[in-house]
Amino acid sequence: MISDSDPSLERQAPTAMRAGPSQEEIRRHNLGALLRHVHLGGPTSRAELTTRMGLNRSTIMALTADLTAAGLVREELPRDTGRAGRPSLVVRPESAKVYVFAFDVGVDRVAAARVGLGGTILDRRDAVRHRGPFELDEVVGGLASFARQMHRKTRSDTVCVGAGAAFAGGVRNDGVIRFGPNMGAYDVPFGEELARKLGLGLTVAVGNDANLAAMAEQSRGLGVGSRDLIYLHGDVGIGGGVIAGGHLLGGHEGYGGEVGHMVVNPGGRACGCGSHGCLEAEVGERALLELAGRFGQQVGRDAVRAVVDAADRGDIVAQEALSRVGDWLGLGVANLVNVFNPEIVVFGGMLREVYLGAAAQVRSRIATEALAASRERLRLRTSALGDDATLVGAAELAFSHVLADPLEALARVSS
Amino acid sequence: MPPVLELRGIDKSFGPVQVLHDVAFSAHSGEVTALVGDNGAGKSTLVKCVGGIYPIDAGDYLFEGRPVQVNDPRAAAELGIEIVYQDLALCDNLDIVQNMFLGRERKSGLVLDEPTMEEMAERTLAGLSVKTVKSIRQLVSSLSGGQRQTVAIAKAVLWNSKIVVLDEPTAALGVAQTAQVLELVRRLADNGLAVVLISHNMNDVFAISDRIAALYLGRMAAQVKTSDVTHAQVVELITSGRSGELGLNNGSGVAS
Repeated sequence: MISDSDPSLERQAPTAMRAGPSQEEIRRHNLGALLRHVHLGGPTSRAELTTRMGLNRSTIMALTADLTAAGLVREELPRDTGRAGRPSLVVRPESAKVYVFAFDVGVDRVAAARVGLGGTILDRRDAVRHRGPFELDEVVGGLASFARQMHRKTRSDTVCVGAGAAFAGGVRNDGVIRFGPNMGAYDVPFGEELARKLGLGLTVAVGNDANLAAMAEQSRGLGVGSRDLIYLHGDVGIGGGVIAGGHLLGGHEGYGGEVGHMVVNPGGRACGCGSHGCLEAEVGERALLELAGRFGQQVGRDAVRAVVDAADRGDIVAQEALSRVGDWLGLGVANLVNVFNPEIVVFGGMLREVYLGAAAQVRSRIATEALAASRERLRLRTSALGDDATLVGAAELAFSHVLADPLEALARVSS
Repeated sequence: MPPVLELRGIDKSFGPVQVLHDVAFSAHSGEVTALVGDNGAGKSTLVKCVGGIYPIDAGDYLFEGRPVQVNDPRAAAELGIEIVYQDLALCDNLDIVQNMFLGRERKSGLVLDEPTMEEMAERTLAGLSVKTVKSIRQLVSSLSGGQRQTVAIAKAVLWNSKIVVLDEPTAALGVAQTAQVLELVRRLADNGLAVVLISHNMNDVFAISDRIAALYLGRMAAQVKTSDVTHAQVVELITSGRSGELGLNNGSGVAS
């Protein structure tokens, strides 16, 4: 117990106490908050912003004027509101003019997109990635050339304010890929290299794909308003993004939320990470295809869909495989429910097909293994953003510094 | 919150054959309630009683907590109850907007108010995040099975409905379209509607339901929360009317 008269505490108190935020800090915070409102909520009237942000009308007007002068938003008269009185001006994000580059690197697919403020995908390029050793130059070169193609098509009055990338692997806070067992990528300075190849003077923020998808579902998908959400992403392996109490669980260095490597079956199937019986070893693509007797034929999403389709048509081997995989998935989710008590668990990537095709097993396991109090209000959903969840998450990552301090971020890119 | 729809002690006979015995059933806003049971268990009869097609012989019909008389389909529609039957009841020779407003067209003066109907149809489909339909002026004959189901469901929610009953919406669909329809049905409930889903497919039931009501030989064996039961228990309820502590007092379904 700490006594109130502890002298060491008393001595620390004056230095530990901090003066309240300065006016400049408050203004910066409010600018970011207003921009975030229109970025996530779309065009919003000044009157509505006043109520939602709890600020007075003149403050909203001043903030909007600053953001308009910076070219981040524009104000216009709304279409017929059907209400009496002078209509409140609508603030809309300058989606066509202010944009970021978003990149997504999965095992079988790479994508690059130009995403406007407000979250509109303005342009995109997708390419198939062939499985095999990870060649940094090839991947980065491909993405950078996509970005340059899209950049060339933009008008001169547009401004690129950032770049973000989602990667199927463990990403350290500084953008280095530490491990990507399903990609064969280890200790790769991905963010740095992509920024260099882009040559636009931008840094590229990099995040784990499932973490970014979790953020995307929370800001734009079915988790809007939810502070406790877990997103499970099925590619070849299983990735996870855990949002607890409104914050993404990143861990000490950024590897937090790797639920795919939670051991559900000690001594079970060998996992790419070197361990045995990890969730991704029991539920991932290889497990499903091997159990269905289809390993080595087709790969990727099509192969997974073929198993679900065969099960639906009555193929007993496929049904059995799906049910085994569903059982392990349910066990994994039950553990997560017990530890984190999430409001929503989202199944994305190939787990969408697996969940819908094996929901009876998944939920039976949760009903028997998860605590009654933790599971009774739990919602299980498939991703609202679908296959774009990871890409949308990368775009949100790229926008995050703009939303934190709009004018400073803009000044940095235009100088 | 009380259930939007609550039935208590419903009996229904056709001549000498009693099809429903003392059935209780409820549906809540924001939830998907799956209605399951073997062939001939009384699912369709129960739904037709809900929809006012069959009058009930005995029992209470409560809507938003108030007792109501539902003697014909119009009365059900006025309360905000819409039923999508397996045959979907769509007209192939009409387009999506015409189908959605069939028999309930909007008029402006003497002529049809096409712009308003188009806008309402558009808004309803957008509200359900339906992206699979290219044009709302497409003829229904040109649509796939999944798209037809989508149009039938959109038609049901167009009328500020409070309860939507779906009779085997995925029965005739392939895996990809089943997934889309299931997600759509889930979204209806997440938007605040009470959804009743009749299905034989246990994966569909477990994928999107919040509660499961199991009928067995015309009796309600149990109405349970999906988060509390296993697949095996539900199958037992369907095939024998009981499972452990759950279900009817004895296997024959006769109250002891």
